[in-house]
Amino acid sequence: MTQQNFKRNCLIAATLAAFALPLVVRSATYLHILIILYLYAYMTTTWNLVGGFAGVLPLGHAVFVGIGAYTSTVLWLQYGVTPWIGMLAGGVLAGAVGFLIGKPTLKMRGAYFALSTMAFVEGIRVMVENIDMLGPFNLNGPRGLNIPPLAHGEVNFWAFQFATKEPYYYIILTMLVGVLFLTWAISRSKMGFYLKGGGEEPDAAQALGVNVARYKVMAMVLSSFLTAMAGTFLAQLTLFIYPKSVLTLDLSFELAFIALIGGRGSIAGPIIGALLLRPVTEFSRIYFSSTLPGLHLIILGVVLIVVMLFQPRGLTEPLTNFFNSIARRFDASAREERK
Amino acid sequence: MNLLEVQDVTMRFGGLIAVNDLSLNIGKGQILGLIGPNGAGKSTAFNCVAGLYNPTAGKIIFDGEDVTGQKPWDLCKKGLARTFQIVKPFASMTVLDNVTVGAFAITDRRDLARKKAMEVLELLDMADKRNALPGALTIADRKRLEIARALATDPKLLLLDEVMAGLRPTEVDDVIEIIRKLRDRGMTIFVIEHIMRAIMALSDEIVVIHFGKKICRGKPEQVAQDENVIKAYLGENYGTA
Amino acid sequence: MDLVFIAQDCINGVLMGLIYGLVALGLTLIFGVLKVINFAHGSFLMVGMYVAYWAVTLSGLHPYLALVIIVPAMFLFGYWIQNLLIRPIFIAEKNVREPITVIIVTTGLWYVLDNLALLVFGPDYRALAPNPLKGQMLEFGEIFISVPKLYGAIATLATAGGLYLFLQRTRLGRAVRATSLDREAASLMGIGQWKIFNIAFGIGTAVAGISGAVLTPFYNVYPTVGIPFDIKSFVIVVLGGLGSIWGALVGGVIVGLIESVGPNFMASTWTEGIVYALFLLVLFVKPSGLFGQKQDW
Repeated sequence: MTQQNFKRNCLIAATLAAFALPLVVRSATYLHILIILYLYAYMTTTWNLVGGFAGVLPLGHAVFVGIGAYTSTVLWLQYGVTPWIGMLAGGVLAGAVGFLIGKPTLKMRGAYFALSTMAFVEGIRVMVENIDMLGPFNLNGPRGLNIPPLAHGEVNFWAFQFATKEPYYYIILTMLVGVLFLTWAISRSKMGFYLKGGGEEPDAAQALGVNVARYKVMAMVLSSFLTAMAGTFLAQLTLFIYPKSVLTLDLSFELAFIALIGGRGSIAGPIIGALLLRPVTEFSRIYFSSTLPGLHLIILGVVLIVVMLFQPRGLTEPLTNFFNSIARRFDASAREERK
Repeated sequence: MNLLEVQDVTMRFGGLIAVNDLSLNIGKGQILGLIGPNGAGKSTAFNCVAGLYNPTAGKIIFDGEDVTGQKPWDLCKKGLARTFQIVKPFASMTVLDNVTVGAFAITDRRDLARKKAMEVLELLDMADKRNALPGALTIADRKRLEIARALATDPKLLLLDEVMAGLRPTEVDDVIEIIRKLRDRGMTIFVIEHIMRAIMALSDEIVVIHFGKKICRGKPEQVAQDENVIKAYLGENYGTA
Repeated sequence: MDLVFIAQDCINGVLMGLIYGLVALGLTLIFGVLKVINFAHGSFLMVGMYVAYWAVTLSGLHPYLALVIIVPAMFLFGYWIQNLLIRPIFIAEKNVREPITVIIVTTGLWYVLDNLALLVFGPDYRALAPNPLKGQMLEFGEIFISVPKLYGAIATLATAGGLYLFLQRTRLGRAVRATSLDREAASLMGIGQWKIFNIAFGIGTAVAGISGAVLTPFYNVYPTVGIPFDIKSFVIVVLGGLGSIWGALVGGVIVGLIESVGPNFMASTWTEGIVYALFLLVLFVKPSGLFGQKQDW
């Protein structure tokens, strides 16, 4: 087994294991925890498309989660449009908003972009909290929107509602694998090289023919689109959305923190970040939220600061090195065998 | 036919005139050297040509087209590539990846970009260092990487901004060798350089500027004997460099 | 519409706007020197408000007298944070034009501080207990002026004027300005760059402390109190031009006026929308802000 093969086999094994997991894990509670874990991994991966590869710091990605959730829900409740189409509609709307934020700010220093994304999520939340009707669309202000379950626990693919957790599990896992594959393909493509180069040394990249701002805006639009899809999924999973659940700085920051701790700009970074941090923050939230409120966010913040001080590229790098040393051992033993 | 024509270009920053009514041209296949004392406006003139600055007045004609005020990335696509005086490698990418970024200017396909990048690295004798990170390279190799990236964009005109500064004499000879090799392949080259020995040896023609104004233009041996030039510049440096 | 109401709203808007400007002042000062936005600035304000709250509650001092405790305490806090957390990153990324890692660390700091406050003090809204300024009003015919806000506006002008004199007239102030123009320049004046960074961060934090003392007499203290001010400050500094002292005050007054005069013409909840719309407009039309320099930005 060569190093390359070893890595590929590990990857295939992990993917198959993830797909087979519901055969073993029958508990709805555990499946739900896994679903949320994948959802976070998905959202941090889409965050990473712009936050990692383009070298900027988006701090308002919850706005796209919110747009996705609200768009599909409003379309379903008011017009009976299937959330699957609502998902795409939300994505398109989010992409347009991403363009609006990114176009003026991404050609300036990173601070402007970070500020704007944050101001945007706060602005939109305030707006949604204060209005019931946006034109013909009923957003129902701070009370949020309820998606009534189908009668008699009916299962309906077009309604994006299922009686058990398994379908949700497979949907989000497919979305995650898809977005990981997309990220991998982009990182190897012209766009990936241009984003990375433009993020590191904009002047040099421009001299090499890279329209840095344009590529960053493209990444932003793509990331906004994909993040909004997670919003629709979240709305269908919980069947209840309100401004403070989806349009918050907390969610925006959590996504950024997970991706940054895991490793900015690496494909595995968001996954590793989510795997390492979600359990820690989730357990501290469950067990200490009444006695020690906010502890999980303190943990997240402290870990973030420590990682930035000592391992600024995130935890993926040392873990990758460790993994590579194992892979190399396989390589060496393979060579031994051939002799 | 001239590949590049700089016509009466002036660049003002507030009250400071960095380049004053500068005109020059470079014929296809020529090597033109631009020299002048520190602060004479060489880099500013370069940046006007490369699209980093939009000149206050005047025109820049490249390959028969008025490109005044066009952006660096558009100029690069038209065949104008540059290096930076202070090297700016993409620190987290390998040497090969660095050069591949440049090669993507001529193709959208990764395999073709990789192939082009390898060709350039072989041309510059850097193929064995393709997997190194820029941080692990010597200064000379980092300068060479800077040239390699620019070459990967397949330029018609190459602007070299002090690529020999800070190199040892033997390393300077290597770079001179490279530049000659490029010229023999038909490339047009515009060089700013401080190292007199190099620029005298390389250039077909030299333009000297002082306080943003052109004070002399001619063959190296003519320039070396020009009284204005000696007064402004060479008087102090020619012997020592 | 009655002109008296408008006049009343204008006065309120200007007073509150100047106080917003005071909060933004600390942010813009730190930016001017370090060229990095301190995302934890709202949390520094929150810390300043708690320090003011406890200083007044425990000592029974007038909140403005408590400044003798608050200002040095906050200065040291900021000085120490920069020295401990931010300096190492500047050193590690000294070749990077804009070390984004610094923004990340200050964002992390924001979360740690806000939630630490939640953990230690709980989510309660606290009003200043011995509050000599509580609800005081000056009456001019039909126009009422809130005394704590008036004091706040005066404190803002005094702080801005003091900072201006410090930067223009003192040796240290000149060194700070020199560093903001060119990082190497500071060492030429015999003062290390890091020391200047520490001092600038300390001053910015101390200004957040002054804002805290100014706000507590009429604004409740709670763990996330910094967030609305934080976001407003970001809007204000972009409006006024990042790094400009007077820009921060003018930007603050603009935001204050929109918030107080706006509700005469629309539902009051929409004024915040107007502020964000203005922010976007500035970003599109004149990203360097009203008083900012164009170069580099």
